[in-house]
Amino acid sequence: MADSVVMGSGSLNSGSRSGSSKTSTSPTDNYQLARRRTLQVVVSSLLTECGFESAEKAAMETLTEMMQSYITEVGRCAKATCEHTARSTPTLSDVVITLVEMGFNVDTLPVYAKRSQRMVITAPPITNASVVPKALIAGQKRTHPTYIPSHFPEFPDPHTYIKTPTFREPVSDYQVVREKAASQRRDVERALTRFMAKTGETESLFKDDISAFPLIAAKPSAIPYLSALLPSELELQTLEETDSSEQDDQTDTENNSSNVSQDDQSADKENVVLPPGGVVPTGKANEENMTDNPYLRPVKKPKGRRKKLKFIY
Amino acid sequence: MNRKKDKGFESPRPYKLTHQVVCINNIKSFFRDKSVIGYVELTIFPTVMNLNRIKLEASSARIYRVRVNDLEGLHSFTNDPTLEVCHHESKQRNLNYFSSAYTAAVSAVDPDAGNGELSIKVPSELWKQGDEMKVMKVYIEFSLDQPKGGLHFVVPDVDGSMAERAAHVFSFGNQNSTRFWFPCVDSYSELCTWKLEFTVDASMVAVSCGDLVETVYTHDMRKKTFHYMLPIPTAAPNISLAVGPFEILVDPYMHEVTHFCLPQLLPLLKQTMSYLHEIFEFYEEILTCRYPYSCFKTVFVDEAYVQVSSYASMSIFSTNLLHSGMIIDQTPVTRRCLAQALAQQFFGCFISRMSWSDEWVLKGISGYIYGLYLKKTFGVNEYRHWIKEELDKIVEYELKMGGVLLHPTFSGGKEKDNPTPHLHFSIRHPHTLSWEYYKMFQCKAHLVMRLIENRISMEFMLQVFNKLLSLASTASSQKYQSHMWSQMLVSTSGFLKSISNVSGKDIGPLIKQWVDQSGVVKFFGSFAFNRKRNVLELEIRQDYTSSGTQKYVGPIKVTVQELDGSFNHTLQIEENSLKHDIPCHSKSRRNKKKKIPLMNGEEVDMDLSAMDADSPLLWIRIDPDMSILRKVEFEQADFMWQYQLRFERDVVAQEEAISALEIFPTPASRLALTDILEQDQCFYKVRIQACFCLAKIANSMMSTWTGPPAMKSLFTRMFCCKSCPNIVKTNNFINFQSYFLQKTMPVAMALLRDVQNLCPKEVLNFILDLIKYNDNRKNKFSDNYYRAELIDALTNSLTPAISINNEVRTVDNLNTDVRLILEEITRFLNMEKLLPSYRNTITVSCLRAIRMLQKNGHIPSDPSLFKSYAQYGHFVDVRIAALEAVIDYTRVDRSSSELQWLLDLVQNDPVHYIRHEILSMLAKNPPFTKAADSLLCNEALVDQLWKLMNSGTCHDWRLRCDAVNLYYTLFGLTRPSCLPLPELGLVLNLKEKKAVLNPTIKSEQGPGGPEVTTTMAFTSTLEEEHVVMEPALSGVAMAPQGLKRKAETPLGSSPEPGQVMQEEPSAKASVKSKFPTQEEEDIDMDTVHDSQAFIYHHLNMLERPSTPGKEPSSVEQAMLSMPGTPMPTLSKESTSSKHGDHHHHHHHHEHKKKKKKHKHKHKHKHKHESKDKDRDSHAFSNSPASGRSIRSPSLSD
Repeated sequence: MADSVVMGSGSLNSGSRSGSSKTSTSPTDNYQLARRRTLQVVVSSLLTECGFESAEKAAMETLTEMMQSYITEVGRCAKATCEHTARSTPTLSDVVITLVEMGFNVDTLPVYAKRSQRMVITAPPITNASVVPKALIAGQKRTHPTYIPSHFPEFPDPHTYIKTPTFREPVSDYQVVREKAASQRRDVERALTRFMAKTGETESLFKDDISAFPLIAAKPSAIPYLSALLPSELELQTLEETDSSEQDDQTDTENNSSNVSQDDQSADKENVVLPPGGVVPTGKANEENMTDNPYLRPVKKPKGRRKKLKFIY
Repeated sequence: MNRKKDKGFESPRPYKLTHQVVCINNIKSFFRDKSVIGYVELTIFPTVMNLNRIKLEASSARIYRVRVNDLEGLHSFTNDPTLEVCHHESKQRNLNYFSSAYTAAVSAVDPDAGNGELSIKVPSELWKQGDEMKVMKVYIEFSLDQPKGGLHFVVPDVDGSMAERAAHVFSFGNQNSTRFWFPCVDSYSELCTWKLEFTVDASMVAVSCGDLVETVYTHDMRKKTFHYMLPIPTAAPNISLAVGPFEILVDPYMHEVTHFCLPQLLPLLKQTMSYLHEIFEFYEEILTCRYPYSCFKTVFVDEAYVQVSSYASMSIFSTNLLHSGMIIDQTPVTRRCLAQALAQQFFGCFISRMSWSDEWVLKGISGYIYGLYLKKTFGVNEYRHWIKEELDKIVEYELKMGGVLLHPTFSGGKEKDNPTPHLHFSIRHPHTLSWEYYKMFQCKAHLVMRLIENRISMEFMLQVFNKLLSLASTASSQKYQSHMWSQMLVSTSGFLKSISNVSGKDIGPLIKQWVDQSGVVKFFGSFAFNRKRNVLELEIRQDYTSSGTQKYVGPIKVTVQELDGSFNHTLQIEENSLKHDIPCHSKSRRNKKKKIPLMNGEEVDMDLSAMDADSPLLWIRIDPDMSILRKVEFEQADFMWQYQLRFERDVVAQEEAISALEIFPTPASRLALTDILEQDQCFYKVRIQACFCLAKIANSMMSTWTGPPAMKSLFTRMFCCKSCPNIVKTNNFINFQSYFLQKTMPVAMALLRDVQNLCPKEVLNFILDLIKYNDNRKNKFSDNYYRAELIDALTNSLTPAISINNEVRTVDNLNTDVRLILEEITRFLNMEKLLPSYRNTITVSCLRAIRMLQKNGHIPSDPSLFKSYAQYGHFVDVRIAALEAVIDYTRVDRSSSELQWLLDLVQNDPVHYIRHEILSMLAKNPPFTKAADSLLCNEALVDQLWKLMNSGTCHDWRLRCDAVNLYYTLFGLTRPSCLPLPELGLVLNLKEKKAVLNPTIKSEQGPGGPEVTTTMAFTSTLEEEHVVMEPALSGVAMAPQGLKRKAETPLGSSPEPGQVMQEEPSAKASVKSKFPTQEEEDIDMDTVHDSQAFIYHHLNMLERPSTPGKEPSSVEQAMLSMPGTPMPTLSKESTSSKHGDHHHHHHHHEHKKKKKKHKHKHKHKHKHESKDKDRDSHAFSNSPASGRSIRSPSLSD
């Protein structure tokens, strides 16, 4: 028996370690575990007091359970006693009565508490009781009007049932929005181009003041058509956005156009419908043509000598 | 007319080509050295006994080896006379002289006449074979080293392999230019089947004509050989090649169609090609004929020579035609290009032409069916608008430059010498034509086809095309009967014959009027209403005396809109009848409240209060269907134009009304235009035109104009937010009509001016606001064109700066408005560097704006910015815009260094298109003209330009003609005035045994050359010291001989042309009578040069030593003195000169004092003198092009 369970703080430690590793991290769980661990320590110290050196784990558990049940019962009964007398908070006398009721000799308690060989248990680590965050108080709560008795529940916070005034009127004026967007863009563009102009080579329109109206120097590129023909990333982005969102309401707005545009339009619509590969016939047909087209055929290996096709006719 | 070809086609060659193999293998790296090595093998059937000489074209190729049927053959390589048209020793600098020499040079190697610069002597062992008419195989090994023409290499200067660098090469050229890249019979009329082999790097694709049979690796597996077979007989000029690391796209609708583009552009290619199948379907349907080739390839290349070029079963396009789905403006343009290319596949590639003079049929038909495609795809309005545009273009060109002749005839007994004496170039060859003329030629050709359609109905027209095509496809399948292949060649006569067979109608007069004659008709119309008789008295006059016009006799349609309806009348235009009475149907007093029926059956309410109460006429239209190539100036009251604009449904009528209203700045016109502008059922191009007209009217009405500036409220209503009218809506270009209108209105508004002739502040701010509030984030389409046009609007708003004194432009004294504009432009231009727009449209507009700022004196004038943008390596549109600015600067600031810089670019720029554009822009906006003195005009420039056209541009015919054009613009036809006076020349007339002081130097100026515009002729010649005009006529006078010579060429036992060529320069260098003069003649340097024009006269005289000139007097004694002479006289005269006599060679002495009178005389005179004339001409054989001596029948004269 003595060798089966290590007593005291050793078991406590192991218990706490395993407990913490096993359990999830919910604060209430933590709290309960801590409480139980404390009980376990208490039981262990009582046992040590009684002269045990070790105890089986099952015995420990049973004792702890018993202890817990007892305490719980004391608490429950004390609460019942106190509610019986139309109070909400138990007093000392409630507890005493309970203990008496449960057949405990209350008078022995002070003596027991003051026994000399008692072990002092350190306070359990503060399992920070989950602090319920204070509800946000926005604005002044309304007081009850005179015809409502004051014990009625208070009004909820005003933001939950009436409009919340923000500190400023949001800019809903179209003109201002556009104005802002425009000037913002312009400022960004100007700053950016100025920066580019400052950091790179420039050309100037004026001889006297080179810094006025700086133009970023024109640099020839090796393949000029690429940048000129391919849509910029910005444009592609815009295209994607509009494709997903605006496409539909745009297409049906105006369709009464005459020939040129109508045709273009229809073609464009068609192209939008098409997958980007422009693959219109079924995939199968497409596969076929892949092998069909002479340019997609595999290149032949030279056979010994190169084939002479010269004199066909 | 040349209708003798009814029997079929007669080849000018003594053999028939049946098959040709072209094999190009890049033993050296294709791209690194830009060199080509290969061989060709031609299979020919001799058609004459004893074929001993074969002539081919091989312009700049180096020939290593020639074998005929495995026997080593001798070849002699004539120095191509077009390499250097006039010898550089020649001091002669007049354009007449050059033109004739150039024509002669081109003729000397004209394959259509059986000539060629590569002459192969058939080994004598094979001569006998000729009797048996056996096949001969001519095998030629050749190489090209960095060819300047024929093939264009694009090798971007970046790191990486050639494929990574997107290096590519493609063939190009104006007309038959295949000779520049392999030896061939470079004629549109010599068809054969082809086998083409190209060995290229394994990372490359070689695209060529015909079917790709197979692709085989070479032994080292580093290269591939592409084997192509073209079983359909095809002319060499229709063979092409493109090699590059192309991305391949198989058309999803038509698997036999393959598209190629440069790396990274595949998404654009997919978008661009998504509608090609529609064009295919359309053509196949209307022609009821399948596409003749078994496959079709489109290749998009950079630095293309032209936007579209069609070859057998493939087309080469400029890569700049590719566009993404976000681009609106480019889409119709590209579609049109594709449609043009495809139309030319049928007529131009599959069906070829017999001779150059039949070109109009091909261009006409392909242009016509392309027009039908436009009508179907873009609608009738667009089609009619296009026809009107084309008609206006050709009319304008012909009235300005003189007539465009579709079917020039040069042979036969009855022809005039020069059908187009008003031009400074010969139209005898495609290679001597100015590019502008050729464009107009194509334009006229398709308009004439439309006239024929009007005459015989479209159904018959299409039947004729179908007949041509089915004949050709039958013939093309006849593999072993190559004589049948001439069915694939179209000729004017054949075409006309099938028209008459199919339709049973005689279109002779129509053809005579528009095809065999040049010029357009100019009508002036006016009318009066005779109330008593209730008759409309219409007067139609014609101007057929000014240049570029001709007389029209025949029916003309007149449409009269009356109160009771619209009525068509067909009047007969006759010689002397000017007035036509047309009875009116309606009584003048209108029935109140009655709707007025229109032509199209519609009935409309009109407010008739504006019209004349006595007259029932609403409006009158002359030739509403444009069934005559004409310009109509018609007078009717402003209210009639306004009614016409509002209620006539034909877009052409609306456009005519708009242009007419420009001179009626009244509130009523304003209202009519505004109404049109607002009407969204109206064709958008009409509305666009109305914008500009409204701006003009507003400016004329400045003092009485009320309300906001024109169009502003309209624009606000259409495109601005309801709540805040100063802010434009966020862009939504889904409705294209609105889009185009939105783009155009600010541009037109910016043309408004206030009383101080400034752009109103209100308008400028409005435009600046448009730029400021432009928001494209929610738009499906790119707004780059829109933004570019807003910049154009800013440009339009600029007015000349007020300068107190001629101070230097500085930042400080910048006008505040201009400062705002400049800020926008700077920002746009800088942003473009970071986020380039499609085709850099914004940069283009900014450059134009900056030039305009400079020109108006707001900022210092300086070309350096433009020069940096004009460098190689910028996008081509940007370069063109920058060059345009430099050219403008050159003119305004008379800068010789810039002119020099431009000319250097013409010589050295890698892009052919740029070189061409520089010259044509210079000709359009010349730094000086022949009429005005300029410091720029100096001898060095003359020499440089002369050199450029003489030898510097020999690899590119288009460029050479551009240079000629520029030379003409700068100096005119005669000797440039800036050249120093030549020494006084003594003219020895040995025949008359007397010496005469060169008459033209001696005193008065000559009466001037056959200038294009007769009015100018006089002014220009006044400053000329020497007048040289003979060659213009004589240059074409050789025509008869040229043709006859065909037959004789093979037989002629002429000396080796090459030898002659070498001899001549030395003869020239040593100068003067090294050779005994065998004939009496005028010794006159000029005539010697002029004699180039007479090459054909003395081709046979080469056995006799040629006589070099004696004195560099550079004076021409002969005067074709008819400056203001109307055409009829000229033509009569030239008709009479057909006998080969070149009048006025001698009688200049008589002329000098009565130059004006004699013009009517000498047409009689030359008859007597024709004999001497002829002999004269023989003597002057001192020309490089004369390197051929063929017995000319004219000698027997």
